[in-house]
Amino acid sequence: MDKVDFISRRENVSLAAVMARKGVTAADIGGALAFEVPKEPAYRSGSGLGLVGTGPGTWLALSETLDNEWPSALEAALGSLASVSDQSSGYAMYRLSGANARELLQRGATIDLDPLAFTAGSAATTVISHIGVAFWQLDDTPAYDLVVFRSMRESLEHWFESVAASL
Amino acid sequence: MSRLSTGGLIDRTRPLKFTFDGKQYSGFEGDTLAAALLANEVRLVARSFKYHRPRGILTAGTEEPNALVTLREGARAEPNSKATAVPLYDGLVASSQNRWPSLGFDLLALNQLASPIFVAGFYYKTFMRPAALWEKLYEPLIRRAAGLGALSGLPDPDSYDRKHAFCDLLVIGAGPSGLAAALTAGRSGLRVILADDDMAMGGHLLKERSEIAGAAGADWAAGVVEELASYPNVTLLPRTGVFGVYDGHEYGAVERVSDHLPEPLPGQPRQRFWKIVARHALLASGAIERPLIFPGNDRPGVMMASAVSAYLNRFAVAPGKKAAIFTSCDTGWQTALDLQAAGIGVAAVVDTRAQMPALADRLDLSDCVVALQGAIVDIKGSKSVKGATIRDGSGKETSVVCDLVAMSGGWNPAIGLGSNFGNRPVWSEELNAFLLDKAPPGFSPVGSAAGRMSLTSALGDGIRAATEVVQQLGKSPAEMAIADVAETGGTSENMLWVPSGIEGKAFVDFQNDVTASDIKLAASEGFVSIEHLKRYTTMGMATDQGKLSQLNGHGLLAEETKKTIAEAGTIMSRPPYTPIALGVIAGHHRGEHFRPVRHTASHDWAAENGAAFVDVGQWKRAQWFVQPGETEWRTSVDREVKATRGGVGICDVSTLGKIDVLGPDAATLLDRLYANMFSTLPVGRARYGLMLREDGFVMDDGTATRFAEDRYYVTTTTANAARVMQHIDFARQVIWPELDVQATSVTEQWATYSIAGPQSRAVLQALLPDIDLTNEAFKFMAAGEYRWRGTKIRLFRVSFSGELAYEISIGANRGRQLLEAIMEAGAPFGIVPYGTEALGVMRIEKGHPAGNEMNGQTTAGDLGMGRMLSTKKDFIGRAMAQRPGLTDPGRMSLVGLKPIDPAATLRAGAHLLAKGAEPKAANVQGRVTSAAFSPTLGYSIALALVTGGQERIGEEMLLNDIVRATDVPVEICDAVFVDPAGERLRG
Repeated sequence: MDKVDFISRRENVSLAAVMARKGVTAADIGGALAFEVPKEPAYRSGSGLGLVGTGPGTWLALSETLDNEWPSALEAALGSLASVSDQSSGYAMYRLSGANARELLQRGATIDLDPLAFTAGSAATTVISHIGVAFWQLDDTPAYDLVVFRSMRESLEHWFESVAASL
Repeated sequence: MSRLSTGGLIDRTRPLKFTFDGKQYSGFEGDTLAAALLANEVRLVARSFKYHRPRGILTAGTEEPNALVTLREGARAEPNSKATAVPLYDGLVASSQNRWPSLGFDLLALNQLASPIFVAGFYYKTFMRPAALWEKLYEPLIRRAAGLGALSGLPDPDSYDRKHAFCDLLVIGAGPSGLAAALTAGRSGLRVILADDDMAMGGHLLKERSEIAGAAGADWAAGVVEELASYPNVTLLPRTGVFGVYDGHEYGAVERVSDHLPEPLPGQPRQRFWKIVARHALLASGAIERPLIFPGNDRPGVMMASAVSAYLNRFAVAPGKKAAIFTSCDTGWQTALDLQAAGIGVAAVVDTRAQMPALADRLDLSDCVVALQGAIVDIKGSKSVKGATIRDGSGKETSVVCDLVAMSGGWNPAIGLGSNFGNRPVWSEELNAFLLDKAPPGFSPVGSAAGRMSLTSALGDGIRAATEVVQQLGKSPAEMAIADVAETGGTSENMLWVPSGIEGKAFVDFQNDVTASDIKLAASEGFVSIEHLKRYTTMGMATDQGKLSQLNGHGLLAEETKKTIAEAGTIMSRPPYTPIALGVIAGHHRGEHFRPVRHTASHDWAAENGAAFVDVGQWKRAQWFVQPGETEWRTSVDREVKATRGGVGICDVSTLGKIDVLGPDAATLLDRLYANMFSTLPVGRARYGLMLREDGFVMDDGTATRFAEDRYYVTTTTANAARVMQHIDFARQVIWPELDVQATSVTEQWATYSIAGPQSRAVLQALLPDIDLTNEAFKFMAAGEYRWRGTKIRLFRVSFSGELAYEISIGANRGRQLLEAIMEAGAPFGIVPYGTEALGVMRIEKGHPAGNEMNGQTTAGDLGMGRMLSTKKDFIGRAMAQRPGLTDPGRMSLVGLKPIDPAATLRAGAHLLAKGAEPKAANVQGRVTSAAFSPTLGYSIALALVTGGQERIGEEMLLNDIVRATDVPVEICDAVFVDPAGERLRG
């Protein structure tokens, strides 16, 4: 991975799965958090919080600081609106940046990453190299954040290295 | 040398050296290997599959059946490469195949003498008896004698990549119609991918002397390619073959990234697999010229007429010095014109038709035999053509001296990809060729692939089709006009010529050595369906998949069976359209990276501490830890068991499935999922649970812990983690969507360690001095959330080993730190890490059923857990578990086994027989599911399923192991070998 200069590991991030309770909408959750919660596979961020739509009524929530207490605080803030599970250790997270980042992800994912179809704020939960991943585009650099189940990070990093060698 | 002094699309300033069969030659940049061989007057390049007949170069494209060579050497050797499609590079090494001792003198050519037995279906007829000899003798012999190139047997040193692409329009083929379509769509702003097998784009424009807009066709093509390359919305993929059409508008393609180089550039793959999702696709694959059937049509020097033109015009190579033409359409006459233009004499033009075409007026016929309604009836020469015998319409025979025969039997639209979805092509009376009637969704043929054979109509068709796509996508099409097209090739009808009364070997399928007489024989033996004919004769089953010449065979079959060819029909094609390497499908997934691997948080720690790993699904789990001096795995495992039962041990159990089940209805859902009750579980307690499948058999077991009224934490076995998650999601989303319950996998979040043994409490107390772990305060099956060094941990008093035991969980990011801290706290107590093998031994000693017992065929009753099935509530599997077959008292159920002779070894898989019973299947009364040596007891023990189960405790039976040929007398005993009263567990 050290040879791949456009991918870096992101260590100091807290993560949680947020699952809406029955009948609760994205807008309800947004109201509680004072945050524009995406209804679709998309990423929204602000004030150090990020939410990625990963399925109907489910989100991956991120805090840009490593904080043991944050998942509990999020759970408390959402009260009876949503169930929350700490996933801060569940995923390894990467930042991919630059034109090579788009090309590398396109080698792996059957998701159209052309700016016509996938822009800043777009998110995808998919498979790369037989490994489940979620990624979302941060800006037009383009930069992406990507998460993978932590147990499979070595396998994914091997794939990163194999593909990056040809870029 | 037969290189023409001028012309061609080769770069004469860049000579390239190469070797064929060890001999050095040179060619130019822009050559294919076939072109360069012909330029060096190498005509014999291969031996045929069955008869080992000398073979030369027949075509100039990927449909080549003869000129198959092994490209490169050593680990990079690639057998069966088509010389006609291999771009020449400096230092290229190729060799011929399927010959011994040499290409020029092949002993197996003797097969030709035995050709009467090598007829259609000869495998079935000749090697019937004795059947025993087939595998041992016949098949190895046939495989050695027949066949193609050999694999190197060495690991491939190169890599293979993959890419996904999305477009509005995929254009398959960059000939006239493909270029016109891509240009129209590209100018109109569509996202376009243009893929072509060839190293240069242009298709037939590169091979003909046609003109467009006042420029040579090849120059026009180069201009279009240059314009397309300037558009950001257009992706050009030369050297890329689209090989298959799939559901969802998906196309498979292989880009030969490095095959035109001596070896791939650093980091670059040899080939790349493309999965292309295209809203529309145009099949602009052109047409493939049909050979003619006549005796000796396979001799080196007999070539397709269009290939002769291609070698002259594209590569500036004269494939011969004096040519005879045999044609059933105008193409042959055009080739005669091309030959004369290159200064090569034409000795004869033989046309199966009665009239000379208009094209003939431009030919110098002063020294040329013209035979109408004629045929070539014999070829002189074996390793190269030396002459031809011509029979004209009146039956008169004339011999001409020539070293080249150019044949043309008309053209077949290259529609193979279009029948990938099961659309059988239909015969066009108008065109005398099969065409696509229906095509896959979003896919249509254009240009000559759609039967629009002339250059003008192909260009126009490409523009028309692309314009329609642009309009369908709601965009405005660019205005297109392609002016001043000067055609070559004539405008005659496309005829299918089927000869009758052939004498001698006239080949239909060149690569599989299927002759006209084989087709007739097959028909006379009743193989009159086109699909049966294919399998019986093997016509169309070689690497060219019949795309060159099978139609001739279908024509012969029609003739034999007195049908029209429309009635005889043709076959459908399936992917891949041209052969592809398996490596490109595997991509980066090879060797140890064959599939993803999962590592726990303490994987590196385990590796540093002597762990041997075992694959459990994708997980790597520590199987045992080798200490210095331990050379036998049993030594390590026995030590780990004894140290744990006698003191304390620690095991990484992070791979168990873990699921958060949350929400107001979590308790209700778990009551319905588990056979036993969970809504009554108090907060801060764990309970063992059993899940049944819908059909009443046991699905999985584990524990569920209640951390709050609406928070349960469910564990599953490692093997069933994903399945149970799926089961829970199905139940809450599909069966009972009205429940307010959420679930998510937290397997990856928590690193979990099991600390077991009489000293486990002391170790934990040292680690967590602030928590009261006395038996009164933290009972068996207690659970709680605490903190360790500021990080949340979860503590459970659960046991798999039967010892006093705990499980401790922490966010996996700190998993290794916690493990190291426990090892440090446990050092004064002699703590040891143990692996899955010791874990298994201890659970067998304790009589816990696991995957071997919960094998999908056992009920709760079979496993001694019948009492867990609640009668106070409904749950998945309850009703089906009551079926008579599942409650039959005669079912096999779980017991323990111990050997009568303590030195004997019990093994899993062995069968139980009543004492004195004959060892046969009907007498089998049970079988061993799990076996281990118990270091605690000092002898081998086993768990078994046996008819009658518990009632047979104390009975002596015979353990019969057919595989390992052992018979061990055993005694049936209780499944719980260690601490049956559970005192250690609760103490």
